[in-house]
Amino acid sequence: MPGLAVGQSVICPHCAARLQTFRPNSLHRSAALAVSAASFFFVANFFPFIELKAGGQSTRIILAQSVSALQAHGSPWLALAVAVFILGAPTISICGILYVLLPLLRGRTLPGAIHVCRWVYGSDPWNMIEVFLLGVLVSLMKLGDIATVTLGISFWGFTGLIICLTASLAAIDRHELWHRLETLRS
Amino acid sequence: MTVFHSESAAARGLAICHGCDKLQPVASIHCGRCGATLHLRKPHSVQRTWALTVTAIFLYLPANLLPMMRTSGFGGGEEKTILGGVVLFWEHRAYPVAIIIFTASVVIPILKLIAIVTLCLSTRSCSQPRAMTRLYRLTELIGRWSMVDVFVVAVLVAVVQLGSLMSIEPGPAAVAFAGVVVVTMLAAMSFDPRLLWDAANRPTIQP
Repeated sequence: MPGLAVGQSVICPHCAARLQTFRPNSLHRSAALAVSAASFFFVANFFPFIELKAGGQSTRIILAQSVSALQAHGSPWLALAVAVFILGAPTISICGILYVLLPLLRGRTLPGAIHVCRWVYGSDPWNMIEVFLLGVLVSLMKLGDIATVTLGISFWGFTGLIICLTASLAAIDRHELWHRLETLRS
Repeated sequence: MTVFHSESAAARGLAICHGCDKLQPVASIHCGRCGATLHLRKPHSVQRTWALTVTAIFLYLPANLLPMMRTSGFGGGEEKTILGGVVLFWEHRAYPVAIIIFTASVVIPILKLIAIVTLCLSTRSCSQPRAMTRLYRLTELIGRWSMVDVFVVAVLVAVVQLGSLMSIEPGPAAVAFAGVVVVTMLAAMSFDPRLLWDAANRPTIQP
């Protein structure tokens, strides 16, 4: 694939899909964003997510309780699905990108980097954190009438995670990544 | 036997790896870069897509007919289906939320099923492969957003546990609906849009 200049892309002549676009410093940028995403992911998981007050009682939940509550109320399969969509898939993406890119930027590869790469791309469709955020917003509208809802710091961490992880995955030039992995291995 | 377009890579025995996008001779069986098995087209693409689509249609019935969640409190309990929830929001004048839920939970799944069936039928003969490929990409893009209602249930079940005051339980429709979304996503993934171009390229047989 020839080098692209600013603003250039490669377009499929048949179906008009965009095959490759000019992404300056794609791997550095992606790695930096993945580090931010990892920090936000930590905040999102270990701080209170939402607090609800109604009639003198209050509940405060962390993000993972949206999974464990389903399990506790007799829907283990639903709990598993939600766990994969909002916790599992983002974990694979963040850890995978860091595992592959951080050594690659120093001109090295760790064992199994190519398989990890495939996992990152394979898990991407199942990463539904932005859909979950919309779900949270809808739930807040639903609860607004009956209770006082306070957003915790984890909610904002989760929002940051969505922005950084999406940007990190979008920043990667797939062709460059695969090509560099292949040349380093041989 | 598929006849590939004479200018295509497939006609020259070249396949693109489904794992890492490397173009290489299909005769080498495994990708030299990432080790994935090479195919000119996704194997049994149309059969798999049909099977998953039929599964999704069957799951769609309980997803809409059974309750999505059960609310209980001192005012008694109540069960709400997906459409029931939409109607409730509409009555409470929360129009944007009603529209979001209706679009994500009713319109998108139905449109997605119709789109996948159309795509499968188009692999027999296809006059507008470019438009159909666009339809495919759109189908892949919007499918995940149907999961909103399932996440609403997950959040509400976790947050609303106010002892005797009020509590919310997930209903059987929530699992069925999550199933619909997962299965339609798998159906879209197993479909190979290049089959549309093969169909467009196929010489029409005169009766």
